[in-house]
Amino acid sequence: MNRMVEDLRFCIGAFFLLVGVLLAGHGVIVGTMVAGMNLNLFTGIAFALFGGLSLALSLRAVD
Amino acid sequence: MRLTLLDYSILAIYLGFVITIGLVLKRKVKDSAGYLQNKSMPLWITSIAFISANLGAQEVLGMAASGAKYGIMTSHFYWVGAIPAMVFLGVFMMPFYYGSLARSVPEYLALRFDEKTRAFNAISFAAMTVFSSGVSLYGLAILLQVLLGWSFSLSIALAAGVVMLYTFSGGIVSAIYNEVLQFFLIVLGIAPLVIVGLIQVGGFEGLTAKLPEVMMQSWRPLSTASANPMGVNAAQMILGLGFVLSFGYWCTDFLVVQRAMVAGNMRDAQRTPIIAAFPKALMPFIVILPGLIALALTKSGSPYQLPVKADGRMDYDMTLPTLLAHFYPTGLLGVGLTALMASFMSGMAGNVTAFNSVWTYDIYQAYIRPKASDKHYLFVARLANVGGILVSVATAYLATQFNNIMDLLQLVFGFVNAPLFATFLLGMFWKRATGHGAFIGLISGTLAAALTHGFTVAEGKGGWLTSQPVYEFPSGMAQALTIAIIAWSACFLVTVIVSLATKKQPDSKLKGLVYGLTPQGKTKGGAWYSNPLALGLVALALTVILNLLFV
Repeated sequence: MNRMVEDLRFCIGAFFLLVGVLLAGHGVIVGTMVAGMNLNLFTGIAFALFGGLSLALSLRAVD
Repeated sequence: MRLTLLDYSILAIYLGFVITIGLVLKRKVKDSAGYLQNKSMPLWITSIAFISANLGAQEVLGMAASGAKYGIMTSHFYWVGAIPAMVFLGVFMMPFYYGSLARSVPEYLALRFDEKTRAFNAISFAAMTVFSSGVSLYGLAILLQVLLGWSFSLSIALAAGVVMLYTFSGGIVSAIYNEVLQFFLIVLGIAPLVIVGLIQVGGFEGLTAKLPEVMMQSWRPLSTASANPMGVNAAQMILGLGFVLSFGYWCTDFLVVQRAMVAGNMRDAQRTPIIAAFPKALMPFIVILPGLIALALTKSGSPYQLPVKADGRMDYDMTLPTLLAHFYPTGLLGVGLTALMASFMSGMAGNVTAFNSVWTYDIYQAYIRPKASDKHYLFVARLANVGGILVSVATAYLATQFNNIMDLLQLVFGFVNAPLFATFLLGMFWKRATGHGAFIGLISGTLAAALTHGFTVAEGKGGWLTSQPVYEFPSGMAQALTIAIIAWSACFLVTVIVSLATKKQPDSKLKGLVYGLTPQGKTKGGAWYSNPLALGLVALALTVILNLLFV
């Protein structure tokens, strides 16, 4: 576990995935629109995708 | 501005992550080298850390403010005032920094010149970093006080405490890891604001239509100083910012150079600032564009209006925070504020870790206790970490009492920094430059800067040496750039004259330190992007294209 945390991609991935899920969840439930966009939902998905990609790269390196 | 539980949760998650990173990395620190200069970082990390160390609050808040005040001309701080110097550092200067095995920039000066030149640079740099860190802390506490009504002392304790926890535990590795996380948070946290803002003003065409022509041009208004809001002309911009200040900062400031010096090998050390140049070239779209959007919205009568101070003047420094408050819903507002906090903490941690290295290697080990055990130096480095943060906290409180003292300190440090690039340029590329020449040149350049400031005025500042100023500049920026040019020229000329009048150093002592006496590393072979020169030329070409887009 420590080896994974020492890989920066794991830290970045975990952080953005967690925040992305929170934002996207809030976007789905509350759905505040800004400039015609559900900003929390779109940003949350983007964060989660970025985080997921970073995590995948980290896990591949550990394997 | 009101934060909800979700916003506070995001802030707490971020703080939890940065502290955890520091604590986990603590076990990797086994000696002083691991704590202060760990040369094992992969290229992508050193490159992002290189720009992130500079992505402090001054850049994030200051560039949005300048965007609203000066328009797209602010991009000169990137496309003229950063990229060429970063490429120069990578291609020409890193071989000497890295190849000389110096552990810091002042130590290079000791190897190339002598101890007095190193001491001058080390002491001024160490003082500058802790005071800069204090200014950053002060700025954060004021921002949180104004935006959220937080207590000044609570904000200071929270930010300083978190930075101390992760830099004390993991040293340079922890600071760099967190700088990378902070970089992504700042970029991804502010990017949605740019997208929403552009939609609101009708895209890039709408933005251009809503703003005066001069705000969307970067070069044409520089024909004369009176034709642009910065009050500078093209010569001052190119020589003052593009050459003296830019090269002086990016090529000699240990805070940023340290990020390249921790790369695993010479080629990566060279490519670190050059690869960093690519995202750096695009940063204006993240940090300057919000300022332009804010101005366009204000001019078009939108519900968002640029903030105004109590005396009726524009409060440009609050441009970005007020835009975040206006556009971001709960959740994303927490991300935006966390990004702002990250920028303050990133600047502070960068300063503190650079201070640790210079204090331990260039002051303590060099002049106070030269032959102690490595365990002792590791202890001193950790102590310096705590001491540096405590001095920063004291500086932040000092700023609340004597705001003018902070201006004065920054001014004095500006005088010291401006001539520095002349010393390095001559030191690395002219083997005849001597230690006496470098030292007297640096003192002369600093004095020339102080005298120019003392005899001229701009926006009511300067002129402290005379009741009748010799010259009045149209703007503070024009004065600062001219002072830099004069300081650099004085340092260059005096260094050359004194060097020619003093005994030259033997060639054998300069191997690996001076161009012409240093074997050139093999950079041929491999893909084009592994060659620093080829990569640097592509970065410069990108910068030329970006400049042409906003002529």
